[in-house]
Amino acid sequence: MYRRYLTALQRWTLGLDVWINRIYPSDLNPLYYTGGLTNLFLFVLVLSGIFIFFYYVPSLNGAHASVAYLTEQVPYGGLIRGIHRYAADAFIVAALLHLFRNWFTDRYLFARDSPWISGMFLLLFGGFVGVTGYILVWDERALVVFSEFVRLMRSIPLVGDRFAWVLQAGPGISDETLPRMLLLHVGPASALYVLLWWHYVRLRHPKVWPPATWVLTSLGIVTVLAAVVPAVSGTPAQPGLQPRTMWLDVFYLLPLWLAGYLPPLLVVAGIGLLFIAGFAIPYVNREDPQAMGVRHAGVAQVVDGNCTGCELCYYDCPYNAIVMVPSPYPGATRAAANRKLLAVVIDSRCVECGICIGACPFEALELPAFMEGDLQRRVAEAVRA
Amino acid sequence: MTAAAAGAPRVVGFVCDWAVATAELTDEAGRLRAHPSVVLIRVPCSGFIRPSWLEDALRAGADGVFVVGCPYGDCLNREGNYLMQERLEQLQRRLQRRKVEPERLAMLAHGLHDREAFLADVADLLAALGRLRPPAAAPTRAATPARASAEEGGS
Repeated sequence: MYRRYLTALQRWTLGLDVWINRIYPSDLNPLYYTGGLTNLFLFVLVLSGIFIFFYYVPSLNGAHASVAYLTEQVPYGGLIRGIHRYAADAFIVAALLHLFRNWFTDRYLFARDSPWISGMFLLLFGGFVGVTGYILVWDERALVVFSEFVRLMRSIPLVGDRFAWVLQAGPGISDETLPRMLLLHVGPASALYVLLWWHYVRLRHPKVWPPATWVLTSLGIVTVLAAVVPAVSGTPAQPGLQPRTMWLDVFYLLPLWLAGYLPPLLVVAGIGLLFIAGFAIPYVNREDPQAMGVRHAGVAQVVDGNCTGCELCYYDCPYNAIVMVPSPYPGATRAAANRKLLAVVIDSRCVECGICIGACPFEALELPAFMEGDLQRRVAEAVRA
Repeated sequence: MTAAAAGAPRVVGFVCDWAVATAELTDEAGRLRAHPSVVLIRVPCSGFIRPSWLEDALRAGADGVFVVGCPYGDCLNREGNYLMQERLEQLQRRLQRRKVEPERLAMLAHGLHDREAFLADVADLLAALGRLRPPAAAPTRAATPARASAEEGGS
C-alpha cells in the first residue's frame, strides 16, 4: 500500500523532472539542488540575521521599537529585514522540497539513513527557529503566536508546565521572556550547522551549493521581493489586550491555526507523531530489498592481491565507505608487495552502487552480484548473436 | 533475426538500474525490440562501468557501446553519471589514438520515464554508427575483428 503510493509519487516527481528538463538543461534543474538551495538560504539568513542582531533590543518595551528603528531609520535596514523574512520562507520551502524529493526518489535507503535522520532534526530545529523568529518582532501577531505556543506546551501532561516555564523564562510573560526567545532563536539556528555537519559527514563531495545561476536568481528573487513587498510589523504587542485584526501566516503556522479548532494536546500529539513517522521512513520495508524493487548487488569487496593502494576508489566513493589503511603485510603478489596502502570497504556505509569498481583500473574491487566475468560473458554473447 | 537487423551495427548498452526503465522495451536477453542489434545490460549505477569493459566490448566485435545514467545532477549516488561521463571522455581520447572513432562510445542520461527520448538517442547513435562504417566492409562480420586486431598490433 505504502509502497504503491510511493511508486506513484516517484513517477510524478520524475515526470515533473522530465518536464523541467525541457526548459532548463538538466544540470540546472532547480529540483536537483533543493539541498543546496536550502543551505544557500540558511547562509543568507545567518548574514542578514547578524546584521539585525546588532539593532535588536530584547525587551518588552524596546523590541517593537528597535525593529521599527531598523526598518525605517537604518540605511537598507528594511531591505535586510525583508531579506531575512523571505529567505526564511524560502528556506522552509526548499527544505520541504528536499525532504519530499529525497523521500519519493528512494534516497534514504541502506547507509543513507544517517542524512535522513539528521535531516529530520534539521527540520525540527529549523521549524522551531522560524516560530521564535515570529515572536521576536513582538507585535500583536507575535503575541498570539507566543501565547498559542505556550498553550500547546502546557497541554502536554506532566512536563508541559516546565516547558512553558522554560519558554517564558518564568511563570508568565516578563522582561526575561524576549531574551529567552532571542536565545531560542539564535541558539538552535547555530545548532543547525552542527546538524549539517552530521548531514554531510558520510558524503564525499556533497552538493552544498546550487549552480551560480541559481545562487544569483534566488538572491535576486529574495532581494526584489524584500524591496517590493517590505516586511512590516503589526501594532505593538500589549499582553492582556485582545488583538483586533490579525493576519496569520497559515502556510508557516498551520499547527497554531489548527489549535484554534482542535484540542491542543491533539495538535501536539499530531506533530509528534509526524516526526516519529518521519524518523521511521528509512526503516520501513527495510527488511526486504527484493520487495522494494532494489537489486542486492552485495557490498563491494576488495581483491587483496590486485590492490595497489592508488586511492582512486577512495576518492570516488560518494559515501566515504572506503578507507585506506597501511598495507598490513608483505603481500604475495607484486601489487601487494609494492603498495603502501590497502583499500578497505566499511560494510555499513556501502550502498552497493559499484562506483568504486568503475574507479579501479586494477580489477581490485568487485560487486558479488555483478562479477566482471559474468558481464564480459554477456557482452560476448551480445556481440556474437 | 532478419537480414536488415544482421546488417545493423551491433551495439552493447549498459543501463543504470535507476535510470530509464527498459523492462518493457527489451526481450529476456536484453535485446531492444525496436532495434534488435542493440543489447542492454543492467548495472547498479552508471559509475559501476569500468572503462576497460567498454574497450573490451569494442574489441570483441561491437560496433558501438553506450552507457545510460540518470540525468546529470540527479544521480541517485550523486556522482555516478558525472564520473562515468569523465571516464568515457578519457577513454574516447585514448581510443582515438588507436583510430577508434569517438562516436562509437556514447554517454546518455535519461530518467526513469524518459523512454521516448532514450529510444530517439539510441536511433541517433545507430544512424551515426551506420555512417561511420565504410559501406563495403559493413555486411561481413570478418571486417570488425580485423579492425580490432589492427588496434591490438598498435598497442
